[in-house]
Formats: sequence, C-alpha cells, structure tokens
Amino acid sequence: MNTVSITLLQQFSQILPFALFLVAWQGVAKSGLIDPTFLPSVGAVASALVDLGANKSFYTELAVTFGRSLGGLALGAAVGIPIGAGMAVSPAINGFFGPLVKATYSLPKTALIPLLILWLGIGSASNMVAVMFSTLLPFVVYTYHGIAGVPQILVWSARAMGVNERRLLWKVLLPASQHAILTGLRIALGFSFVIAIAAEMIAAHTGIGKLMFIYGESGSYDYMFAAVTAIMILAYIADRITVEVSNHLMRWDDIENRLG
Amino acid sequence: MSASKIAVEGVSKQFDQAGNPVQALAKLNLAISEGEFVSIVGPSGCGKSTLLYMLGGFIAADSGRMLVDGRPITGPGVDRGVVFQEYALFPWLTVFDNIAYGLRESRMTERDVRVTAERYIRLIGLTGFENRFSRELSGGMKQRVALARTFAYEPSTLLLDEPFGALDAQTREIMQDELLRLWRTTGKTVIMVTHDVSEAVYLSNRVCVMSQRPGRIVKEYTINLDRSTNREEVVLSEAYTAIRNDVWLAVRQQVILASPDDR
Amino acid sequence: MMAMRRAHTISSSVWHALVAAYPLILLAAVWEAAARLGYVRPVFLPPLSTVIAQFVPLARAGDLVEPVLISLYRTAAGLAIAIVIGIVVGFFMARVRFVRWLLDPLIAFSFPSPKVAFLPVFILWFGIDHLSKIVLVAFTCVFPFIVAAYAGATTVPTNQLWAARAMGTGNLGLLWRVILPASLPSLMSGVRVGVPYALVSTFTAEMIAGGGGLGGEMILAQRYFETPTVFVYLLIMLATGYLIDFGVLRLRDYVLRWHEG
Repeated sequence: MNTVSITLLQQFSQILPFALFLVAWQGVAKSGLIDPTFLPSVGAVASALVDLGANKSFYTELAVTFGRSLGGLALGAAVGIPIGAGMAVSPAINGFFGPLVKATYSLPKTALIPLLILWLGIGSASNMVAVMFSTLLPFVVYTYHGIAGVPQILVWSARAMGVNERRLLWKVLLPASQHAILTGLRIALGFSFVIAIAAEMIAAHTGIGKLMFIYGESGSYDYMFAAVTAIMILAYIADRITVEVSNHLMRWDDIENRLG
Repeated sequence: MSASKIAVEGVSKQFDQAGNPVQALAKLNLAISEGEFVSIVGPSGCGKSTLLYMLGGFIAADSGRMLVDGRPITGPGVDRGVVFQEYALFPWLTVFDNIAYGLRESRMTERDVRVTAERYIRLIGLTGFENRFSRELSGGMKQRVALARTFAYEPSTLLLDEPFGALDAQTREIMQDELLRLWRTTGKTVIMVTHDVSEAVYLSNRVCVMSQRPGRIVKEYTINLDRSTNREEVVLSEAYTAIRNDVWLAVRQQVILASPDDR
Repeated sequence: MMAMRRAHTISSSVWHALVAAYPLILLAAVWEAAARLGYVRPVFLPPLSTVIAQFVPLARAGDLVEPVLISLYRTAAGLAIAIVIGIVVGFFMARVRFVRWLLDPLIAFSFPSPKVAFLPVFILWFGIDHLSKIVLVAFTCVFPFIVAAYAGATTVPTNQLWAARAMGTGNLGLLWRVILPASLPSLMSGVRVGVPYALVSTFTAEMIAGGGGLGGEMILAQRYFETPTVFVYLLIMLATGYLIDFGVLRLRDYVLRWHEG
C-alpha cells in the first residue's frame, strides 16, 4: 500500500467511531426505547443543524458568545500574564499576590457570576468580567511556573552578556516560557467557553447559551441538540487552531514539547 | 537417563526492533534435570534473558518446543517462579503482603499464609520490617523480599534473571550464599541467567554458555565443587579457579566472535 | 525563661501567619472602609461586617447548612459515578485495543467542549432536581478520570504484571490486585483535578437550573438584590472549596503513603 492510501485509511479509521456512534444514536432513537421528544433522531438533528447553518441570526448569537469569551480571555491574559511574570521575578510581588492566588484557588469562579450580574447587570460586561476572572488563574499560574522554571543557566549567560533586566524579561524569559504560557492559554480558552455559556444560561438576553434555553423552553429539542453539536464542533476547531498556532510559534522547540 | 524436568528443543525467536527483524534465538536446545542449578551465561544481548522469559511463559517461541514435565509451556504458571532483575516488588504492598501474595493466590487459609510468610521473613532476616513498604528498603533487602516472595509458595522451578545485578559486591556475596542455602534445603530446580561468570561457577552445578546473537548453547560445563565448606575455601580453591577460567574464556570467545557492528 | 521562649515561638508563628496573609487582611480592611465610608453603594458592596452578620439569620432559617449539604451530595454522587466509569473505561481502553480505537476519537473530540452546554439536554432528560446536576458533574469529571486511569494502567511496569501472572493471578485478578493499586498515583492526580471541576459544575448547574444547593440559593438572593446574602454564599463556596482541597490532599497522603516521591 502506498503512503497516500495508508493516510486515507488512517483518517477513515479515525472517523469510523463517530459513524458508529451516530448509528448507535439512531438505533436507540428509532427503537422506541425512549420517547422521541427526549432523543430526536440523527436526521432531525442534522436537518436542524443545516437550518441553523443557513440562519444568519444563529451566527449572530454565536458571535456574541464567542466575542464575550475571547474578550474575557484577552482581559485575563492582559492581567494574568504580567502578574504571573511579576510573581516569578519579584519576591515582593510574589509576597503580595501569592496568598491571593492561594486563597482564590479553591473558589469556583462561577460563584462570581451572580455578584457580577448584581454589579454590572445582565449582558456582555458581566459575562466578560466573569470570563476574565476564570482565566486569570491559568494565566497567572502557568506564566509563573514558566518563567520561574527557566533554567538558571540561560538567565546567567544572558546577564553575563550584559542584558539588562527589562530586555531579559522580553528577550529571554518570555520566549523560554512560551510553552508554559501557551499551555495556560489552551486551558484558559476552554474555561472561557464554559464560563461565557454558563453565564448566558444563568441570565442573559443574547448568546448561544440563552438560545439553547429558548429552544429548550419552546420544545424545539432538535434545534437544541443541533446547537449543542454546533458548540462542540466549534470548541474543537478553536482548540485545534490554538494547538496548531502554538506549535508553529514553538517550531524551534523540541518535538516532545508540542501541545496535544 | 531420567526425563528432563525442562526441555527446550529447537527454539527460535525473532523480534522486531525499530522495523528491523532481530534473530534473538536460533534453534536453541537445552535440557535441565530436576533439582539442578543451571546458570546461563553469555555476552550481552545474546538472548539469555529472552530464553528465561520464554521459560517463564511470558514470551512465546516462533518455532520449536518448550516442555515442562513433558507438557508444553503455554503461559506463566505457579510451577515456574520468577525473580526479576529489578525485583518487581509491588510498591503498594508491605514486605509481609508482598511475600504473602503468591501464598494468597494459592488459596491457602489466611492462617497458614501468615505462618508461612512470617517464617520466610525470619529466614531472610527481615523480622521487624514486615510492615515496611519497599521504598523504605535497601537494594539488598528488596532482593531478599523478592527471593522470599518466589520461594514462599514453593514453585518446583525457579527462574532467576540476573537477580543480584543491581547489588554492591558485598551484598551480592551475601545474597549468593543465601540463595545457595535456600537451594540446598529445598532441592528445587533453579535456572539462573547472569553475566557474572564467577557467580555462575560458584553457585551452579552446570553452566551453559550461550553464543552471540542469534543465541544457541555452545558449551556446557558440569561443576562438582564441594559447597559444604565455606565461601573462602571454595573461591580460593584451584578447582574453582580452573573452571571459572574455562567458562570465562568461552564467554570471551563469544564476545570476540561478534562482528564489530554488533558491539 | 523557658516560658518566655515558648511564648516567643508562638507569637513568631502567629506573626508569620499574619505576614503571609497580609494581602487578604489589607483587602478586608479596604473593603470595610470603602463600604463604611460610602464610596460604594451598599447594594453593590455591603460592609464586610454586615456580610458576616448576615450569617446568623441565614443559619436560623436553615438556609446555611442545608444548601451546603445538598451541593455536597450532588458533587459526591457525580464524582463517584465519574470515578467508577472513568476507571472502567480507562482500564478497558488500556487493555483492549478495540475499545481504545473506538473511544479515543470520541473522547478527544469531546475534550475541548464546554460540558455545561449539555445541561439543557440533561435538564430535558432528568428534570431540575438532583439528577440533572449529578449527571452534569459526572459527565464533566469523567474525562480526567479516564485519562488518569488510562495513564496509570499503561505505565504499570511489565515486570510487576509478569510477576503477578507467574504467581497465579488471572486477568480479572490482575486488574483488581495489580493494575488498580499501581494506578493510584495517577488516579489521585485525576482526583485533584476532578474534585474542583465537580464542585464548579454543581454550583453552575444550580445557578442555571435552580433547585436548591449553594448555587441555587445564591442566584435566588441575587434576583432579590439581597447582596449580603450573595456574599455569604460566596464565602461559603470559598470555604467549601478550600476545605475539600485540603481533604483531598490529606486523602492523597494516606492513599499514596507507599509511593516514592
């Protein structure tokens, strides 16, 4: 077998489990074991999905949610990475933020959502701030470990070459801890989707989380399932893009350090 | 001539190493009688550990036959106890529970298990360490537990894979005498793989020299040293030295015979 | 003389604790001051003292302990299911190649998904009481356990598996007596990750769907603009998270007492 047909076979064998899953789903749906209201058939969900795909307002809602999560992610990175870096290079900063990090480590960040709704009302502001808070911890912790874990030898040789502290941070420490920070980014991305959607489900006027509940309440379960499927696909694609971009950024690094 | 306890007839084994086929053993023949202490020596990579693992039933032969008590080996079994080079103790079990493991598998009553395990703990001199975990033990102690664990449930054959390889010289000598004592009191069949020729000659009553890969048995030495005396007398005797030199030379020749690329 | 020295060491450890916690004390002081001095409206930020005072009427009304127990019950039940299923699936994937082939793509695909997106489906199937939340917790937390169980099962040293077999252990016995204990370090890492996830999922599900528990009570208080109550539940969630993490560490120390490093 030549290499082309081997890769095709590999890809086919990776898709086959999904096909089997759909077959199983269809089997259970059609068998009458479960009330069809609770489990729409694969066909019903598929046609609802196609419908959504052609529907402009669906994309608007997705964009709203996506915007909130990415906006919050950016805020979290803007605040979290400097704090993590500061904690790694300055014992004073570490002394201040360290206990704060430890104290809030065990706090489920979703607990802040009702408070944020109280302060900022229902809408994108409270949503994005909630996302920011939930992504802070991964950024702070991973940046901290990334920079603190830079081999001393690199730091010493840079200093010996006369690099000052500021350039040290930008030219040596941050690139060396790229892997850790990008890992933190990947995790924070996952969190951002969860919190954005969760906040919309708790209280929102717009967004995909709210949309799913509207479908649920109006009994359009095939659309609800379709929306869940769409979210799964988008989350997967977003994660893949993050991984590919990260690996491209780290192409100078060892193969073992590649992300998932 | 009595039927062999263990018979290896024309056994071959090929491995796949990074896409290249490697012939580990080629038509190897070996016969071992009950109660013998046989050592298998040979150059590194000659396949002696492979042979031992096949005797243990962990790896299957590509061709040929391997028989124990006249029956083919189909897998691991309680008739063939194994002591591994890295001890393979269960780290989550105490010394006592490690030694009791094989006993408990044999469906002994818990009371008998306790009595036997405690006897072996005394035998190996680890009284007081029953409730320690293996991470708290030294190399020599771990080896003693590994030996006790396998001896305790009394398999009729013992397969030892470089059991003392990881120990320092003094501990190794102590353990060798320990093993000798256990063998002499229990009369089990012992097959030991070792790279240490002196050790092989000291302990066994037969030493088999394996060729460079693909492995075959090329020379066998029967050893009749009087082991009832102490270690000093045996090791310093002329008989011991003569045999040891012969065996060493035989192994050395196999090492030299290997093509330069192999080394 | 000895008494003086002992008093000195006690006060020095208190001093160290204070130094370590000074940012928190600072924040508490700033909070109280800002609220009291009228810099922020009380509906947004009631004084810390008011929040603490709010504990009492809530306790009297039975709205303090009961929500905690409800949330903990849901978390524990969901975790238990996740652990059992995770271990079974992870071990199966490690031992049976077909299962690994079948499930690997499905798991990899589901991994980045926000599992909370499934909550409407679970509410449809299981209603708004305990079950839908337990299922969400189980569904969210099963993934780290599958990964941990798989990692644990595939890294058992071959020698140990062989040694057990040579001593007469059969296939099922191998899973139960060797693979499971050998996987405990990996599983405990899964627990450390999974337990916080479980707690978060419970609170989130309660905030979304109501039905009691800390999350449900908190969102209710928010809807009625009872800000001190919101803060009370926030603090309780914080304390719960902290205590559970502490408990998990203690558990890990015990379960892994035989483990090197």
